[in-house]
Amino acid sequence: MIGLAAARSDATDEMLMVRYQRGDREAFAELVRRYQRPVYNFVIRQVRHPGTAEDVTQEVFVRVVQNAAEFKHEARFTTWLYTIARNLCIDHLRKQSHRRHPSLDQPAGGASEGRPLGDNIADAHPSTDVERAAAASEVQACIVRAVEGLPEEQREVFLLREVANLPFKEIAEVTGAGENTVKSRMRYALDRLQAALSEFEEYARALR
Amino acid sequence: MDCEKFDRVVLDLLYAELDELTAAAARRHMEHCARCGPIGARLRATREVGVLPTLEPPEDLEARILEAERQAHARLPLRERLGRAVSVMAGYAMRPQLAMAALLVLVFASSLLLLRRGPGDRESMHVTERGVPEREGDSVLVPVPERKGGADPGQPAPALPFGHDQAARSEARSSTDHVDERTAQASGREAVEEATDKEAESKRGAGSGTDDTAAYDRAMAEYQGGRYAEAQRQFDAVAAAGGHNAASAALFAAQAVRNTSGCTAAAPRFEAVASQYPGISVANEATWQAASCYERLGQRERARQNYTALRSARGYGERAQRALDSLDRAGQAVASRKAKAKAKAAAPAKAKPAAPASKPPPTTADDPAANVDSDRVGY
Repeated sequence: MIGLAAARSDATDEMLMVRYQRGDREAFAELVRRYQRPVYNFVIRQVRHPGTAEDVTQEVFVRVVQNAAEFKHEARFTTWLYTIARNLCIDHLRKQSHRRHPSLDQPAGGASEGRPLGDNIADAHPSTDVERAAAASEVQACIVRAVEGLPEEQREVFLLREVANLPFKEIAEVTGAGENTVKSRMRYALDRLQAALSEFEEYARALR
Repeated sequence: MDCEKFDRVVLDLLYAELDELTAAAARRHMEHCARCGPIGARLRATREVGVLPTLEPPEDLEARILEAERQAHARLPLRERLGRAVSVMAGYAMRPQLAMAALLVLVFASSLLLLRRGPGDRESMHVTERGVPEREGDSVLVPVPERKGGADPGQPAPALPFGHDQAARSEARSSTDHVDERTAQASGREAVEEATDKEAESKRGAGSGTDDTAAYDRAMAEYQGGRYAEAQRQFDAVAAAGGHNAASAALFAAQAVRNTSGCTAAAPRFEAVASQYPGISVANEATWQAASCYERLGQRERARQNYTALRSARGYGERAQRALDSLDRAGQAVASRKAKAKAKAAAPAKAKPAAPASKPPPTTADDPAANVDSDRVGY
């Protein structure tokens, strides 16, 4: 069993999908383990609501199950997965187009929602320097605001590159745009981010 | 490298999607260009500092997803569930170890069925034989009809008194029989060796099928690792070997070409894959990739031909139709822009300030549909 688990963790996404198509449900579980976090982060930055992001992320994987038979192993799994995620986000945003969602750094709901979402940062090495931590938090809050302020087309390209870590060619396939268009959108997004970050010391240090 | 080329590749450089030669050229250009150096530095710094914080999903999300999968799986149409069950069983049946075990069981079972009863009472045994069973040490004396003309010219006629000639002739005859028998035994052995050779060859064939899969997996690992040139070389070898992965390997080789050399080189390869492996899903995917490449290269007519060919292909019909609609819209948009540009050129031109050098370049000619709201990609 250990050998099988090791084999699954070494297998490519496409191999896992082929195995899932043949009935290996542990292969699907491995795909969930690999992609639930980046998909969740991609979705939540689009829909800006944690409860909705959980539902949409769950629905992404349900669609994978329902359409597993149609997946062709010559295609890339990540292209397919993020196409599903993007389409579900678009569907949701269209339904909610008349509603405004608060920034993720604002408390998202009632008492049950707990702390602002911006505090839920995966930080394996918490800083002991209070000032540095405060400055870092301010930079991150600025980044979040800048990303949320991007036009939808630029934001989704930025998220697919930075969160999902897809190459530009794949982003072009997911969004249905040409590769040069994708790069243009990414360039505009980075320019806006640069304008937002230019006042911070960290940015100046990184420039050197 | 010039500034225009640098603007086109700077993002690829930033995200390590450039081949080494171009990346080195871009870095050298940055070092010496007063315009491009700061641009590259600012983008790099933005990327370093502008890291979006990662949010942790709830701890129970994974469990909920797996539960949803279980329920979705239970709701699948019966035909699909049966299909998957058959696929699982077929997968087990096709495994070599199981096949060998099944063969062994068959061999044992058939040998048990064919076992004879013991000899029983010797006197009641019926034997269909001619002649007398040879006992060890005895020579067989076979009466040989006399030849006309005396002794066999091939054999020296022994100068024996009468009575022994017959024995000598019969011995010569039996030795000839033994030679014939040895010849028959030899050809029989040769037939057995030939069959063994054929069996060994068929076993080697089964082994090469395993080698083919291993070679394919190695090539895929190169591809997934972004080493496209090496992946292409290995996929080409798998395709040339003609095993059961040949079609997929040819497709992936073409995709690797696209990743290294772009659509200009890749589009004809995709078309070649489609024509070489007609009637299977690989051909449809290759046709789709060729169409996509031609579309990006601005060769609309070639793209249209390929998309049109996919309209009747299972799983591609709707996507192909959407792509054709998008091509039509893009064509109309281009025509409209040309008409406007023509009208503008006819009017007196007004001087405009030059655009600042730091702004990103407009989309290039190979993506004329940049400003068109393209359809979502289906799944």
